[in-house]
Amino acid sequence: MFNRRDEQMHMASSSGQETIIAQGVKVEGDFTSSGDVVIDGEVTGSIQTAASLRVGETAHIHADVSASSAVVAGEIQGNVRIAERLELLESSIVHGDVDCQTLSVAPGAKINGRLTMGGEGKE
Amino acid sequence: MYRYIYDEFTQDKRFEKDLLNIENRLTDLGIAGKIVRMALFRNVQEMVRDEIRHGTTGVIAVGNDETVHKVIDVISGTDVVLGIIPLGGPNELARMLGVPDGVAACDVLSARIIEKIDVGIVNGKRFLTSLSVSKFCSELTCDGTYRVTPDVEGHLEVRNLAGDASRNERISDPTDGRLETVIRVGVKHGWFGRRRMCESVLPLTQLAIRSEKPIAITADGEEMIGTRFDIGIEPSVIRVISGRGRKF
Repeated sequence: MFNRRDEQMHMASSSGQETIIAQGVKVEGDFTSSGDVVIDGEVTGSIQTAASLRVGETAHIHADVSASSAVVAGEIQGNVRIAERLELLESSIVHGDVDCQTLSVAPGAKINGRLTMGGEGKE
Repeated sequence: MYRYIYDEFTQDKRFEKDLLNIENRLTDLGIAGKIVRMALFRNVQEMVRDEIRHGTTGVIAVGNDETVHKVIDVISGTDVVLGIIPLGGPNELARMLGVPDGVAACDVLSARIIEKIDVGIVNGKRFLTSLSVSKFCSELTCDGTYRVTPDVEGHLEVRNLAGDASRNERISDPTDGRLETVIRVGVKHGWFGRRRMCESVLPLTQLAIRSEKPIAITADGEEMIGTRFDIGIEPSVIRVISGRGRKF
């Protein structure tokens, strides 16, 4: 059974060279990927992907994040830099500066940081 | 011209009829070749190397996964094509490549659909299918840039050409130049603390396992024990004959 949030989250995923960091796993260091990334576990360091990023409700990220597009439902402590679209779902918490092209914020989402939009997010 | 490498166990009486049928079918298809029999005190790798030196274009392993494992070291990086005629078992590799058991494999060899596939390496030893560690709780260094640690004891599998579609597992692609690293951990879930299996998947080219205590890993069915394992990939080093029913 999927609720609306799950449906939105599933839309962001795709097959291929997908990296999944599930619950019950801790990642430390500079994580770089060229494919889609799904995070439901714990990450400390930095995250960089040239494709889309999906941060699940159970995820705890203590890292600067850089991606092409992102859907966030979990917690991020660090700066978020998204080249295109960033979607913050109602359970999301971001402690850090957000830089993106297009932003969608659901009621209940929390952002504590500076928000920059429109062009500066592009690398 | 193909060279047929018969594993020692195929000399058993119960395979006599199968071998006769195979040899007849190969003759019918016009792809019969020299037969080389493995035996105690005969170095298989030296035998295969000799055949390659004499200009063979294809080596056909007649036997099981272990038979294939015995010849991949010599074939890797050469232009020689590897084929399989599965006999006995286990024949996981042949199944993944879409090669049927026994005499039916001869038609696959005759069709000659060739794929260039990757080979995994662990501490200098090559593996074709996968490597696994049960009760895994050590640190994994991935591509030299980040470390992954499971919160509780889990199961680690590094796949080159593996995966069970019947269990809804993804089949790893042995032509993508990456090893699919899967970590399965049981995570407590809900009010009653029921454990749910969570699966992490990391496509990697290089990984290292470091453990304080010796751990056992199984690569292509062969067990290795140690505290340090360096795992890598050799992309597109083996040319294999696959069937239409290949799984990747």
